Amino acid sequence: MRGPSTPMRGALLGLLLERPGHGGDLANRLAARLGETWRVDTNDVYRLLEQLEKTGLAQSRDEPKRNNHRRTHLVYYPTEETSEALTLWMETLLPREPVRLGLQAKLSVAREQDAPRLLQALKAYERECLMLAQLVGPTDGRGRSWTALCMDCTREAVYAQLQTEIDWAQRTRRRINEHLEQAR
Amino acid sequence: MASLLSFANVSKRYGDGGREICVLDGVSMEIDAGVSVGVWGTRRSGKSTLLRLAAGIALPDSGAVRFCGRNLAQMSGGQRSRLLRGEIAFMSAGDWRAHPGESVIDHVATSLGSEGLTMREARRRAMQVLDRVEIGAACAEERTTALSLNERARVMLARALAREPRMLVLDEPALLPNLGDRDRFYALLRAAAQERGTAVLMASEEMAALQGVSVLMSIADGEVVSTDRSGTVVPMPGRRRLGAERPAR
Repeated sequence: MRGPSTPMRGALLGLLLERPGHGGDLANRLAARLGETWRVDTNDVYRLLEQLEKTGLAQSRDEPKRNNHRRTHLVYYPTEETSEALTLWMETLLPREPVRLGLQAKLSVAREQDAPRLLQALKAYERECLMLAQLVGPTDGRGRSWTALCMDCTREAVYAQLQTEIDWAQRTRRRINEHLEQAR
Repeated sequence: MASLLSFANVSKRYGDGGREICVLDGVSMEIDAGVSVGVWGTRRSGKSTLLRLAAGIALPDSGAVRFCGRNLAQMSGGQRSRLLRGEIAFMSAGDWRAHPGESVIDHVATSLGSEGLTMREARRRAMQVLDRVEIGAACAEERTTALSLNERARVMLARALAREPRMLVLDEPALLPNLGDRDRFYALLRAAAQERGTAVLMASEEMAALQGVSVLMSIADGEVVSTDRSGTVVPMPGRRRLGAERPAR
């Protein structure tokens, strides 16, 4: 399977399918889609585009710059395999962490036909968060020492984060379902 | 052998003005004896409806809820009430109903009224179960109006445990401001249920309240998601929603 393995690679495939672009343009579009928290590094984008080209998921052409026709830059285009690779990524399970970045990347470039895959991925993520919550050992509530207090606070932090994640996944599923219902 | 509690393709709807809201949408699951299930959901997520259906307090619009193989919808109101006073105990922190002049021990003992016990026997059993939830003899003789929120939650739990039900259905059983008290309450609940092999179906907005359960579920928009993959609790949406569960290809 030649689908991309990182969230940013996957998101780049989506952007390429939307329209071709040079490295700087794709980095800007990626930053705009994913938001400030991602801190998209333009060098990473160039490196990922080269990797995508090597694996046949993108192809570049040397084209004159818009504002300076005497100079050229590489513009990246999707290949025949890009769309299928994006679909495969949409189906890929996310790593087992309470981190939604992978899903967020998928959402940022998802096509409407990806809705069932997104709903599936959101449900899988919700389940993963529940499973992580189960890994937290219970407390007997007797802890009165400083160490016990710190451990209880850590538990609370994990539960608070997982609750937020599940709530987000549920809301996102609701919004997608509402959109699909209206589109019917 | 039939499971203790089963939901088969259960749906429940409520009217909201001109609209109809689907609170549960084709939910199926099974809970065996001795298993503890935690249901996490935000407000108005449908978790209370799920619990009220499980306890026979509400009936489904479609599908079947069975307790020990008996379809709750096919039982008379009286039979369901007896079930709720015997094999199933339902508890919600918002349901505190004690007579103002009543002592704590009498409040628990009177819940055993239909067990054929003398008042002395009922008080003895009440004291045993109060002791189990760490309510001492001195507090047991107090008026129920004098109880703190923490004590009140434990007394409610004692009352739920007193009849030795086969299943505890607990809807937000302890909304306690002190987190240490909350954790202790749930530790006592887990220990009591485990000791007696009582099944627990418990819902809360606080995930920390559901710590230590065998199966954790979340609920929203009529659908449930569960950590259980193949065992005792198998939530399976009976009707798919908008292709959400369809295989991708």
